[in-house]
Amino acid sequence: MQELAQALLDAKKQVGLCSVCFHLSADPVCEICRAPSRDPNTVCVVSDSRDVIAIEKTREYKGKYHVLGGLISPMEGIGPDQLHITPLVRRVNQDNIQEVIMAISPSVEGETTTLYIGKLLKPFTRVTRIAFGLPMGGDLEYADEVTLARALEGRRDLDMG
Amino acid sequence: MFLNTLHLWQFRNYCDQWVEFTAPKTIVLGENAQGKSNLLESVELLATLRSHRAMRDRELVLEGTEEGRAAARLERAIGAMDLGMVMRRSGRRTLVANGQTLKRQVDFLGLMSAVEFSSLDLDLVRGGPGYRRHWIDTLLVQLEPMYHHLLQQYNTVLRQRNALLKRHAKSDSSCLNSTELAIWDAQLATVGTRVIRRRARAIARLAPLASTWHSNISDHRETLILRYAPSVPMDADDPEQIQQTFLERIKQRAIAEQAQGTTLVGPHRDEIDFIINDTPARQFGSQGQQRTLVLALKLAELKLIEAVIGEPPLLLLDDVLAELDLNRQNKLLDTIQDRFQTLITTTHLGSFDAQWLKSSQILTVKAGEIIENEP
Ligand SMILES: Nc1ncnc2c1ncn2[C@@H]1O[C@H](COP(=O)(O)OP(=O)(O)OP(=O)(O)O)[C@@H](O)[C@H]1O
Ligand SMILES: [Mg+2]
Ligand SMILES: [Zn+2]
Repeated sequence: MQELAQALLDAKKQVGLCSVCFHLSADPVCEICRAPSRDPNTVCVVSDSRDVIAIEKTREYKGKYHVLGGLISPMEGIGPDQLHITPLVRRVNQDNIQEVIMAISPSVEGETTTLYIGKLLKPFTRVTRIAFGLPMGGDLEYADEVTLARALEGRRDLDMG
Repeated sequence: MFLNTLHLWQFRNYCDQWVEFTAPKTIVLGENAQGKSNLLESVELLATLRSHRAMRDRELVLEGTEEGRAAARLERAIGAMDLGMVMRRSGRRTLVANGQTLKRQVDFLGLMSAVEFSSLDLDLVRGGPGYRRHWIDTLLVQLEPMYHHLLQQYNTVLRQRNALLKRHAKSDSSCLNSTELAIWDAQLATVGTRVIRRRARAIARLAPLASTWHSNISDHRETLILRYAPSVPMDADDPEQIQQTFLERIKQRAIAEQAQGTTLVGPHRDEIDFIINDTPARQFGSQGQQRTLVLALKLAELKLIEAVIGEPPLLLLDDVLAELDLNRQNKLLDTIQDRFQTLITTTHLGSFDAQWLKSSQILTVKAGEIIENEP
């Protein structure tokens, strides 16, 4: 895990971020965003590029991604404006996206981020969330592939209370 | 349940100490500042994951070392259990039960149960509401281990929401993102409602027990009423109604909250009222009444934990026995008998009943080392 994190850090220095989904990419638009075989109408929202890698390992997901670059956390000075939320709203409005899947850890900060984005997107599209049966405060990164695949499959509509 | 052995390694002023408990009552004898309370504190930690005197784990680790450990072997009705807790200066903890490292703290809670009673507990009556909230929370994590997780969640939401309000209060140029604040409000109300309902439930169960004990100890001269006064008023145990009221209260205090940069509504502002013969014990209770009240609360805790987990919990008496008068001492001793394993600290044996001393194990503590006295 340490090595992977380091590799990602190194990669970050050389490569930039995809201009569409903000996943790590050597090109202006990443491979996943360019792939014609992937469903362009479904977007899975994650906090970090590491989560994209974890979900890709399951080979269960055929849609596209959107990487937020963190979670809302006022204590760390991170508000919605510090995350890639506005580009997500624009994407949803412009690209005829049918479903946005929130795949964010159920921590307090994760929950706030999920609810915040849900509130913004609900008027425009269907918003679902993956079913977390993960360890409390668990990260996607540490979930094994089977658990993650099951969580993706068992997703449900986001309940805004 | 019975605590057989305790192993303290680089914990407080203990370097590497094994303690074996051989009687239902153990008296821990020693001069001031030798390590008596430290010993009891390790048991409290293993039972509740909380210490009533340490704010941070670095206080618990032997000075000059990086990590410390407290471990216990416990006999329960379902069998023997080995519990271990590693504390680090960094604050990261590792919990081990029966050789397995646990991923979640809640899985550790409830394995060992203890009620701690020290002279500091008079603050429960005299001190500010924070003492009473800490007290009910410590009891709750033992009754419902999930509560530990809930409380952590609530405190995180609270700190995050305060950070947002504070930033806004400081720089009036940045305008508050009202959608973000609304989400934090909703989170505070959702998690806060769970905290309130569980506190209400615990106090409802504890109140009649405490009243009975108070009446008994005061020879039926006094009646005690325990009343939960949540910061968000509740008429009934209806989560939707409480949440609704919670959100309304937040709205009412919005201007004050944004001006002060802090959260003014929620269970972090709860109070628990103790009323003796129709007057608040905090302002008007005599010393004796306050002592009776604290003793009644502790006995009620013992009985409630016993009822919930089906086994008598441990009792930790730190410096209090000698402070109680003979009548109150006897009430306490009559109740515990040999059923509740009890650890008692004292600086001198003079105030103990001779019969009692005979049936007790006596350990002497000197500068972080424990010597067993010959019987
Ligand atoms: N992290 C630590 N490392 C080393 N020593 C410590 C640490 N924390 C506390 N101590 C020492 O432990 C001693 C206090 O122990 P404790 O509170 O158990 O005393 P006590 O025997 O209960 O005394 P009293 O009768 O006054 O209540 C003090 O000498 C203090 O310096
Ligand atoms: Mg002491
Ligand atoms: Zn992309």
